[in-house]
Amino acid sequence: MDLTEALREAREHARPAVVPYLMVDRRRAGRIAPTVSAFRDAGATALELGFPFSDPVADGPVLEAAAARALRNGTRWSDLLSACRQASRRLPTAVMTYANPVWRQGLPEAMGELAAAGATGLIVPDLSLEESADWRKAARRAGIALVLLAAPGIPFERLDRIARASRGFLYLVGRYGTTGATVAGTTVDLAPVVRRARAGSPSLPILIGFGIRDRKSVARALAAGADGTVVATALEELRNRGAPPAILARWLRKLIEVPRPHVG
Amino acid sequence: MARHYGPYGGAYVPETLVPALTELERTWKSARKDPEFQRELRRLSRTLGGRPTPLYFARNLTRRAGGAEIWLKREDLLHTGAHKFNNALGQGLLARRMGKPRLIAETGAGQHGVATAMIGAALGLETEVYMGSVDIERQRPNVERMRLLGARVIPVTSGSRTLKDAINAALRDWITNVRTTHYLLGSAVGPYPFPDIVADFQSVIGREIRRQSTRAFGRLPDLAVACVGGGSNAIGTFRPLLSTSVELLGVEAGGPAGSRGAASLSSGRPGILHGSLSYVLQDPDGQIAETESISAGLDYPGVGPEHAWLKDSGRVRYRAVHDADALKAFHWLAEDEGILPALEPAHAIFAAVGEARRRPAREHVVVTLSGRGDKDLSVVLRGSH
Repeated sequence: MDLTEALREAREHARPAVVPYLMVDRRRAGRIAPTVSAFRDAGATALELGFPFSDPVADGPVLEAAAARALRNGTRWSDLLSACRQASRRLPTAVMTYANPVWRQGLPEAMGELAAAGATGLIVPDLSLEESADWRKAARRAGIALVLLAAPGIPFERLDRIARASRGFLYLVGRYGTTGATVAGTTVDLAPVVRRARAGSPSLPILIGFGIRDRKSVARALAAGADGTVVATALEELRNRGAPPAILARWLRKLIEVPRPHVG
Repeated sequence: MARHYGPYGGAYVPETLVPALTELERTWKSARKDPEFQRELRRLSRTLGGRPTPLYFARNLTRRAGGAEIWLKREDLLHTGAHKFNNALGQGLLARRMGKPRLIAETGAGQHGVATAMIGAALGLETEVYMGSVDIERQRPNVERMRLLGARVIPVTSGSRTLKDAINAALRDWITNVRTTHYLLGSAVGPYPFPDIVADFQSVIGREIRRQSTRAFGRLPDLAVACVGGGSNAIGTFRPLLSTSVELLGVEAGGPAGSRGAASLSSGRPGILHGSLSYVLQDPDGQIAETESISAGLDYPGVGPEHAWLKDSGRVRYRAVHDADALKAFHWLAEDEGILPALEPAHAIFAAVGEARRRPAREHVVVTLSGRGDKDLSVVLRGSH
């Protein structure tokens, strides 16, 4: 199943989607398959597979350190492709990385390679709508859903345009701040943003990410009307403490079991 | 006002920043047309900054070169000791116009940090400056200056701990505090509209060169030379001269001999860093390279997107000068003219002397002396022993 289908299906069954994040790291290559299998068995809807970038400006200290470590360990583009091949056999996989590593490969080349490795989505946190035309074209040709991001404080007219251009899902940034729950940042009420995006693009799933770390933050995202959440930093912290796949999966399951609030 | 320069520029940023960039663009456009704003900018440039800065005939340096006349555009005489004042004042006034009570800035050599701290004090805005811990070590006097001016200096210990990482940290702060904070970006880099705004405020340098050279030697110079890190003093020098026949030369930091230093235009290739597409030093996977230069202000793997376009179009020539040659030029200017230049423009001085040597005595070379060298004494003294 690809990313778009998986999220649509979860939505049709009113099952909140949870998308865990995993950063590719050459030293941890052997753990990709068991970890993604455990995520799948825990009930994850899809996987966000991160490729490290040297200057990750949207990331807080935890993911920044993870990227720096992965690069010190010699992680290359080819490691992303092999991780992608393993992951996408187990869960629908969206690759998350910054603009330059993709741009450097050449947009059609990068998208073609990712698609051949089984990726069905691509998330680029520093790609704005204004610069995205060539990216969307290359993604469409390769059969990759290019996921665009929206953020708090966004003018509604802009939100409409982003939701129309986004494929796979709309990634709604849940707070003012970088990724990671322990750094400074302000959570805002996203219900009006979700309602507006929903009204303009009714079939597009909406996931909230940034600051999702526990059942409470998942419940808040669902209460705002989102179809699900992306969880990254909290998982990375668990991995840093040496948690094996089974423990990660058990933790993830608690988030997956958060019930969708009853909406009348 | 250009969002792109050829294929370069643009705004590759997390969506959280887009409303702030839009607000900045709108504010700047209205300020440009507002006679009151322009009057205030001119008044403070004159009374607080000391503009216009003089154009000085470097007679002894000219004799050393033995060719064309060398003239210095004395941005080192500006308040806080560098051209950074021009942009800090302009953007400080924009921040006040937007009602943002807090300024953040990145700094490499510390000159932009000092200028921002000064304008923060003068306009009553809270100021915090991000600076790589390597740069804090090598530019100590400017750290003390910023603190005395009431700014908080926040050390950045990630990555290469220099200018690039200070920009990352400032961008992260901005993403978090965007509603109350203006990011007073100091170079002609970053997402649109920053490169255009910075170039606009720095263009006072080139406008004065046009006026002053006509007055001093009856015509425009044959060649204008400026150093390029992010490229703000260079774009300020070049922009008003683009439509003329003046030859233009940008000088990058070549680092230690045998390295590619921090010369993004000479040794890099197109890539996306800090919000815009430009020339970037990077590896085959698009990971940004670590740079090396004796001058903290040029020690940056990217460059302003307008320079990328000026290089491709052939309008401006760019070359790199190594650390040792910049040091040599530092001493030439000190001994010949009694001026201690910052290590950044010392790169431009070296290149200008070489150019002057190859040219006839009737020609005129103008070099933008973008800052003064007090901050660099410890580096220079170490280098000479």
